[in-house]
Amino acid sequence: MQHMANMSAVRDVSLTPAVDVRGLSHVYAGREGAVPALSDIALEVPAGRFVVIVGPSGCGKTSLLMMLAGLRRPTSGTILCDGRPIAKPDPARVGVVFQEASLYPWLTALDNVEFPLALKHAPREERRARAEAMLKLVGLEGFGTRYPHELSGGMKQRVSIARGLMQDPPVLLMDEPFAALDEQTRMTMGHELLRIWSQTSKTVVFITHSLTEAVYLADEVIVMSARPGRILDRIAIDLPRPRTYQMMATDLFGRLRERIWEQIRTVP
Amino acid sequence: MRGSIIILVRIAILAALLAAWEALPRLGLVNPMLLPPLSDVLKTLVTILGRADVHEALGVTTAEVVVAFIIAVPLGTALGVLAAENAYFGEIFRPMLFYVFSIPKSIFLPMFILVFGIGFPQKVAYATFSTIFIVIMSASAAVESVKAEHLLVAQSYGATPAQILRRVYLPSMLPILLEALRISMIFNFTGVMIAEMYAARTGIGHMIANWGENFQMPQLFAGVILLAAAAMLFNEAVRALENRCSIWRT
Repeated sequence: MQHMANMSAVRDVSLTPAVDVRGLSHVYAGREGAVPALSDIALEVPAGRFVVIVGPSGCGKTSLLMMLAGLRRPTSGTILCDGRPIAKPDPARVGVVFQEASLYPWLTALDNVEFPLALKHAPREERRARAEAMLKLVGLEGFGTRYPHELSGGMKQRVSIARGLMQDPPVLLMDEPFAALDEQTRMTMGHELLRIWSQTSKTVVFITHSLTEAVYLADEVIVMSARPGRILDRIAIDLPRPRTYQMMATDLFGRLRERIWEQIRTVP
Repeated sequence: MRGSIIILVRIAILAALLAAWEALPRLGLVNPMLLPPLSDVLKTLVTILGRADVHEALGVTTAEVVVAFIIAVPLGTALGVLAAENAYFGEIFRPMLFYVFSIPKSIFLPMFILVFGIGFPQKVAYATFSTIFIVIMSASAAVESVKAEHLLVAQSYGATPAQILRRVYLPSMLPILLEALRISMIFNFTGVMIAEMYAARTGIGHMIANWGENFQMPQLFAGVILLAAAAMLFNEAVRALENRCSIWRT
């Protein structure tokens, strides 16, 4: 099974990783001097993988994601995407799906999805057709004329995902996209995301606080420590795909979840 | 159903007030010298609207209001945006703005007369001064209402600063800016009226003050109706625009 391949196996076939972080550290200026936020992060994500990052609040996982998106510069270290460095946002290579409320309330669902291409001055018909296709992909066909306040929380995040896929970037970064949703909607959205992922073969880096969500979605879970954020563990999730809700009741699922919890819990 | 009842009740109250205005002086229950009947006031309104000196006064007042408005609003907006966006400028000037905002502007009127005389420039300067603080504060609030995640989204899609300004700042700020426009017109109009009533050679505020001093009550009330109608008309027009631009703000 391809997703079970470990890091060295990937290196052996000498594929360029979709995301390659080396020696990344970050220090920011706090009120009482320099605060180390991230420490010596090394992360290789092979193309097509679904990687989930978990860690205690304030461990710098969102900072790391912002750096992968080119929205923030690390103090040191390199970030390569498709073998080329990321110095500033490059939506053709990296798409970002943010937490809730990132849609523009004054734009319709369709206009929100079109936003990235509107910035590029893409022809109107082209971007409309693409946006409609993306809304269909995320299961929102026919909802294009709705405004965000007319959509449920889950639907809003579907629109966000459609927007993230608009420029067909090989890498999709997701920052706790389902955190604000209720439990049932969250499970459904996780399942939907896996369907969309399998249809688009993106590389996904996903941040969450939910261990169940992490195990359910991931090929590999990266466990980070409290500040300064370091990578404590990488756990290959050997559950078969496609994932089903029944898997959550299995021993393997429970053991994987437990292993992540142990790591996070033991960190002061 | 409930909404239409409320509207009917409002109309009934208005009709009752207007009827009382007509009936009470006619029946001698209120001294008609102090409160002339509504029909007399409306007749006077038609008459004064035909007078050349009133036309001139209206022209002057309109010009003062418009000029002060088009100075105070863009200038205040620019300063407000600067105060919100530039931490250095903001930290220096924001407390000062708050202090000055709390002072009644009318106590500065004598100084404006000393500096500018009692003509057009003084009216415009004083009205601008009365208006600009509320514009600055509203513009700052409008900038602060722009959500960080909305900016982040635009940045992550590689938006240029100009695109961020047009596609994120402007639509985010528009509802608050329109509200500011409406409220600043209230301040602006009040400023011009106070300046005209205090000391002027022409202008509708000056005429109203004169009518009051000379006990010309029908003219005084006609002037009041005229200005109230003009103020409400502007207010409602901007409010309609506000509602159209903020259907999403529910």
